[in-house]
Amino acid sequence: MRRIITRNWISGITKKLQWFKRGAWGIWFIDPPKDVSLDGHRIDSVIQYTDTVITIYFGIVVLALIYFIFKYRTRPGHKAVYDKGNSKKHVAITVAMGLLVFFSIDVVIETMSFRDLKEAFWNFPKGDDVVRIEVMPQQYEWNFRYPGDDDRFGPESFSDMNSDEVWDEDESFIDANGNGYWDPSDDIVLMSEMHIPVNRPVVIQIAPYDVIHSFFLPNFRVKIDATPGMVNAMWFQAKETGVFEIACAELCGNSHYMMKGKLVVESEEDYNKWLRSQEIEGPRDDWYDPDYGLFHWGWEWKEVI
Amino acid sequence: MTHKEQSFISKYIFSTDHKVIGKQFLWMGLFFLFFGGFQAMLIRWQLSYPDLAVPVWLLGNFLFEGGRMTSDHYNQLITMHGTIMIFWAITPLLIGAFGNFVIPLQIGAPDMVFPKLNMFSFWTFFLSGVVLVASYFLPGGTAAAGWTSYPPLSTPVGGIPGLGQVFWTLSITLMGAATMMGAINYITTIIRSRAPGMGYFKMPLTIWGLFLTSILNAIFVPVIAAGLILLLLDLVLGTQFFITSSIVAGIKEGDPLLYQHVFWIFGHPEVYILILPVWGVVSDLLSVFSRKPAFGYKVTAICMCTIVALSSIVWGHHMYTTGMSPLLGKAFMFLTLLISIPSSIFFLNWLGTLWRGNLKFEPPMLFAIAVLWVFGLGGLTGLYNATVTSDIYLHDTMFVVGHFHYTMAASVLLGGLAAIYFWFPKMFGKSMNPLLGKLHFWASFIPLNLVFFNMMVMGYAGHHRRIFNPMEYEFLKPLAGLNEFVTIMAIILGAAQFIFVFNFIYSMAKGKKAEVNPWNAATLEWTVEAPIPHGNFAAVPTVYNGPHEYSHPKVTDRDWIAQSEPLPVEG
Repeated sequence: MRRIITRNWISGITKKLQWFKRGAWGIWFIDPPKDVSLDGHRIDSVIQYTDTVITIYFGIVVLALIYFIFKYRTRPGHKAVYDKGNSKKHVAITVAMGLLVFFSIDVVIETMSFRDLKEAFWNFPKGDDVVRIEVMPQQYEWNFRYPGDDDRFGPESFSDMNSDEVWDEDESFIDANGNGYWDPSDDIVLMSEMHIPVNRPVVIQIAPYDVIHSFFLPNFRVKIDATPGMVNAMWFQAKETGVFEIACAELCGNSHYMMKGKLVVESEEDYNKWLRSQEIEGPRDDWYDPDYGLFHWGWEWKEVI
Repeated sequence: MTHKEQSFISKYIFSTDHKVIGKQFLWMGLFFLFFGGFQAMLIRWQLSYPDLAVPVWLLGNFLFEGGRMTSDHYNQLITMHGTIMIFWAITPLLIGAFGNFVIPLQIGAPDMVFPKLNMFSFWTFFLSGVVLVASYFLPGGTAAAGWTSYPPLSTPVGGIPGLGQVFWTLSITLMGAATMMGAINYITTIIRSRAPGMGYFKMPLTIWGLFLTSILNAIFVPVIAAGLILLLLDLVLGTQFFITSSIVAGIKEGDPLLYQHVFWIFGHPEVYILILPVWGVVSDLLSVFSRKPAFGYKVTAICMCTIVALSSIVWGHHMYTTGMSPLLGKAFMFLTLLISIPSSIFFLNWLGTLWRGNLKFEPPMLFAIAVLWVFGLGGLTGLYNATVTSDIYLHDTMFVVGHFHYTMAASVLLGGLAAIYFWFPKMFGKSMNPLLGKLHFWASFIPLNLVFFNMMVMGYAGHHRRIFNPMEYEFLKPLAGLNEFVTIMAIILGAAQFIFVFNFIYSMAKGKKAEVNPWNAATLEWTVEAPIPHGNFAAVPTVYNGPHEYSHPKVTDRDWIAQSEPLPVEG
């Protein structure tokens, strides 16, 4: 038995030695996922600047190390120079070099980062053009809520909706057969799949159902945590159509690794067509349960976060 | 100072001798280093071969049913690997073992100021280890919410079965108590027990590192202890410090974000708690093996103090993606980047020590130079995470994992090994085999870089952390080959450590008897012959010189002069 197992993993490995098959060097030529966002290039350029400068500095350090190791290695007749490096000159030189590193890397990336935050990531778009979506992660799914025809989230008020009585008393939430609706308002609520139009800013507001999750769009270079008890916001804009992945970046339980969603970026027409197809009149399901919290999620859109 | 004859138990088990306690910490640290390292191998196996059973030589059939790891196992492994390596491997090795062994010897003291507290510290630490290991035998398994254990995942709301989280919280609180006792002892000993003539700026930099580490421990360990006790109340008594029962946003009860603040107020200084002793040891070792004084000794010490001060006000950079206010984000980013000034200055001082030296490449020196390499890389890659925009992308990816393994794991592991190779002759009175030491060095240093550097590459390609099976995601499929390469390198790295184990045990049993001062070092511990008696010095030494008087022009017959020897008078 033991021998069979051993042979299995050996054959498994040899079959799967992809890095060897591709040529050992091939594996290093790896790019980040394709950037399909309006502002992702800003993050890439900060990373590239840092890459370049730290490669230069680390290169200098390595060259100095190699030079010192050869030049000052111990050998007969060779002696160390008694030098404490305490002179004003030495201290001035090291401090100056420390400041040079600070100004050539830190100050530059800080300036770039502040500019990008001000111009893009923390500069939330306003206006009719903006697509607004509420996101509610739960173990281990993503839920999305679109405002629907009336362009506002929820029915009259979410504070009403969150109290149980409304669900039992208000007739309009009960269909002809006496069953509850999946959703009383015209909101469009979806699971695991999110649609957005291309070239329009998308603002999401996010709060989780159970534990902390993190909404990560690798192709857009952005992520935001979803923490119980607070609503977070993030915005992004796609510049290409296609289907992309949503990942959960914060450990959220044993199926964390399977908590992925689909982001469909469509042309304006396709998006509108899809939106209309989702706006179904009348009851959606007969398995509505007023005690189940998942039917109550959502919040009134927060204009200022 | 003489001590009366002691029984075996009071001499080797419940000992109050700092040297014995240091060795006890060393054994325990090495045990957990291998225990935690083994779990890393299992994690690596899962990441590169998610659809293969764990092989027999990684104890697959013994540990998991049919050798198949589940995602529950995986989460337990990543949690316990991080927890063990930080709190039960690095902490006892550098702070427990070398803090205990080296501090009294290097400052010329007969023992710690509070020897019984010292003993109590070790046994509290031992108890914490027992609680931790016991959690592996719980029906629901160990804790599984990551080493950060963010609530609500770590509370009953999160759905992790059993008492694992309770044991985790308890064991870390106990560990914190042990660390506190040690820290108080170290600080008091360094302030009160220095030999006559040993001013603060005549202390070896190792002592500076351990001193600053202890100060950080004394300030910040109570913070995490308080946080964990609140978490424990949430876990067992149903309080709501960190849990909110609201299923929709807006209703505030407990605050999960509060835990993150409490955790990282401790967590960021913790990084420096772990690395400061290494900085000290490396500064001293570079000087010993370059046969010249540490370059800019005073500046290095001041830089270390500056970093300690800054480290306590930068914790927010772990939380850029939590929806932090822009003002706070900018402030934390600026403060974090400030750390690069003192870091680059003392890094340059390290290079300055090598400059115009007479470099002797003994194993401790190889490991010390390797620390320059890995800490240089680890420090520079921290810039990506300190910057808000690049961190938005790289946060919670393998990039962060690679980065902190460079700064914490690689630097501290290599620095700790340098310390072991360096002080082994004094601890055990035997010499380690230098050839095996050098072999161990190369067999560790090369795969170690290939592992951690490629983790950063994968993070840059978007590979997020703590996922059981990366093949679930389309955008991670191109990384399968690299993941596999990293695993193979990690296994080589793990296997290479057996060279060290062999060398360590063989040298202890059958090694050559060590000379009193095999490295021709100037600090006080090398003036006494091993085995050092309880009470250390026959007579309290008087200190005349700084700790790094090598190649002094006035000393003509050799290239060093001990701290307790007056310089020859000219004439």
